[in-house]
Amino acid sequence: MKTLLEINNLKVIFHLSGQDIVAVEDAHLSIAENETLVLAGESGSGKTVTALAITRLLPKNASIASGEVRFFGQDLLKLDMPELEKIRGNKIAYIFQEPASFLNPLYTIGNQIMEAIMLHQAKTRAQALVVAEELLNQVQIKDPRRVMLDYPHQLSGGMNQRAFLAMSLACKPKLMIADEPTTALDVTVEAAILELLMKLKQSLGFSLLFITHNLSIAKRIADRVCIMHRGKVVEEESREAIFSAPRHFHTKELLSAYEKIGKI
Amino acid sequence: MIGSIIIAALSLMAAFAPILARHDPAMIDQSNLLMPPSPVHPLGTDGLGRDLAARICYGGRISLSIGLIAVGIATLIGLILGSIAGFYGGFIDSLLMRFVDIMLCFPTFYLILAVAALARPSIFNIMVIIGLTSWMGTARLIRGEILSLKEREFIQAERAIGASNSRIIIRHLIPNAIGPVIVNATLSIGGAILVESGLSFLGLGVQPPTPSWGNILIESKSTLGVAWWITVFPGMAILITILGFNFIAEGLKKKIG
Amino acid sequence: MLAYILRRLLGLIPLLIGITVISFVVIKLAPGKPVILQYSLNPKISLEEIKRLEKLEGLDKPLFVQYGNWISNMARFNFGYSLSDGRPVKEKIFERIPITLCINLLSLLFVLLIAIPLGVRSALKQGSLFDTTITVLLFLLFAAPGFWLTLLLMQLLCIQLGWLPISGITSLDFEYFTWWQKIIDVGRHLILPVLVSGLGSLAGLARYMRGSMIEALNQPYIYAARAKGLPENKVLYKHALRNAVLPIVTMLGLSIPGLLGGSVIFESMFAIPGLGRLFYEAAMMRDSNVIMAEIVLVSILTMLGNLIADICYGYVDPRIRYAQK
Repeated sequence: MKTLLEINNLKVIFHLSGQDIVAVEDAHLSIAENETLVLAGESGSGKTVTALAITRLLPKNASIASGEVRFFGQDLLKLDMPELEKIRGNKIAYIFQEPASFLNPLYTIGNQIMEAIMLHQAKTRAQALVVAEELLNQVQIKDPRRVMLDYPHQLSGGMNQRAFLAMSLACKPKLMIADEPTTALDVTVEAAILELLMKLKQSLGFSLLFITHNLSIAKRIADRVCIMHRGKVVEEESREAIFSAPRHFHTKELLSAYEKIGKI
Repeated sequence: MIGSIIIAALSLMAAFAPILARHDPAMIDQSNLLMPPSPVHPLGTDGLGRDLAARICYGGRISLSIGLIAVGIATLIGLILGSIAGFYGGFIDSLLMRFVDIMLCFPTFYLILAVAALARPSIFNIMVIIGLTSWMGTARLIRGEILSLKEREFIQAERAIGASNSRIIIRHLIPNAIGPVIVNATLSIGGAILVESGLSFLGLGVQPPTPSWGNILIESKSTLGVAWWITVFPGMAILITILGFNFIAEGLKKKIG
Repeated sequence: MLAYILRRLLGLIPLLIGITVISFVVIKLAPGKPVILQYSLNPKISLEEIKRLEKLEGLDKPLFVQYGNWISNMARFNFGYSLSDGRPVKEKIFERIPITLCINLLSLLFVLLIAIPLGVRSALKQGSLFDTTITVLLFLLFAAPGFWLTLLLMQLLCIQLGWLPISGITSLDFEYFTWWQKIIDVGRHLILPVLVSGLGSLAGLARYMRGSMIEALNQPYIYAARAKGLPENKVLYKHALRNAVLPIVTMLGLSIPGLLGGSVIFESMFAIPGLGRLFYEAAMMRDSNVIMAEIVLVSILTMLGNLIADICYGYVDPRIRYAQK
């Protein structure tokens, strides 16, 4: 299997007033085509920062000090902006934790999905409309026509997340980066979204980088698991290896915590 | 904002400086009419030969005290009405907030002008009228704070041990809610001084010969091209004072968070 | 949406009553009798004569009745006669509206055209030299008394440099000008008043815009927009700015009453025959009819302005326009 994404020696520094904080140090991971890599770790371990760094989405006060991010062999950190913008949303897409916050409250769902379509594909508004409705169908939204005209605040968390998913899949990306997409949802909704995600992954054929602090999810969906702790990647193994024979002490800590509360 | 401390010191100096003024601000000196700044008269003299620096110092006393007392009155009224509205809620709240809405619709400067013109403009009147027209902001602020604090646990606890309503308001709610109110009050002092100087400039505020920064500027209208110091210095005094209070307010805002 | 508007309109009625009552009470309570033109010039006037004149004006009736009369008159747009020159108050007010409106509208336009871009640019270049300089300048502008700045500018531009005329809206030989010259003349006269009336609000609005833009730029959906591959300028204008400008709409509505309120100070300084100056003169002459009429007029406009602001905001922000399902 070809390697889709490869991160080597990534170092990210945050410049706060007076202090420089190293958020991620010497991170490394790789994802193959059609593979699901779960990036797990406790809050503050640097998972989100790493994920954002892949397409250089970090806030202004953060900088990537060193490292390389190779996507199909190309180092994304060295691309100039127009090139990078062609990849964002197109080949690499994101879904985030609280969909309602990540959708612009002033524009309809339809408008925002169509924006994603027309950005990367040469389609007219009419064509984009059709595509958008079809996408909403794919994410199992029952009344796509109506939802297209709705605003984010009018929909539930689960619906918003589906809509966001539809938006991210608009250009059939090769890599989907999901940053704790179900953490803010109810348990039943969470299960449904996860199932949907995995189904779409199979049918559309993309790789998934799934970030979570919840190891039980990892057990369910991961091909491989990567554990981060305090900004460093401490273990990167196949799913079976992680759960049966963890090597790093932090991995063991995490696992035992989950076992104790009966979640694994 | 460290600048706030510096400017605060300057403001205090203005309050005590009158004692430092070398000349009698009322002394008319016919031989020295409209003199530009010199070592004897550091800020120059006005059309009646009076030392400008002294007039500005004494005027500062007046303008500052008007500002402070007017805002004091406004804050007191606002606190009382706002906390009653916030605490008791329901009908009283709606009634009081309607009243606030009505007062907010009035062109306050017009009202102040009208009253100042119709009554005899005295320093006391000015303080009162400015106070009576600027309490609305404080009232809304404290009402909002109290509404949100009302349901918190420590208040429930107080009720549980049988504390009376007024005790709860005065000893618990207000001290916790007072933060934004103080910031607002500080900013309002600048506003009050501005209103007073505007009024005095129009001749309806502090009456000459008592100096006030606003009424010193009346003379500058007629001496525009001739005596620049009469225009520049009183205005700068107002500017620096208001700036000082604004800085203090910004600093306080950051501390309260 | 319609229900929202109707509800707000109904809520205005008690406000209206409150405004008129308070205006009436304040003016009547203020010490000093309203001076009636006829007897102000005649110190030897007898007591009976004064009483007769007061009866004519209806000033001898109990306050309730006076209030009732006043309200019913106002409802029919009869504001009575000016106590200083006998002319109908309505006429005096309406002839001054155009000029005040004109100056204030131009001023508002000026403020918007400068404050919004300034605020946005400051936000985008947060922390830069540009930002810091502008912030300091705005702080100073905010704290400076408007009439003082006017004096300074007058000194500089009118007297020392002679670029602009110092007062009035037309020059002395206005009637002899051609059409084009007339326009330029009025324009030259208006530049300074429009400028200085706007300075205070400019400072406030620019700072507010900056804060609003900074807040919008830090929102999660901005990151999501970038993640979609949107070029930065689209992110800024289509997403961030649209959200940042929303609260400005409310502020605009709130400045509608300012449009007619007129600034007493500026109009006096520039000798502009507008509403503010009318009020000042009326106040000095104790012309209570004019005073009351203007106060009520401006208050009502403020009330309407607030309503319009709320409606506009409700229309522009979908979170209010469509309630949650």
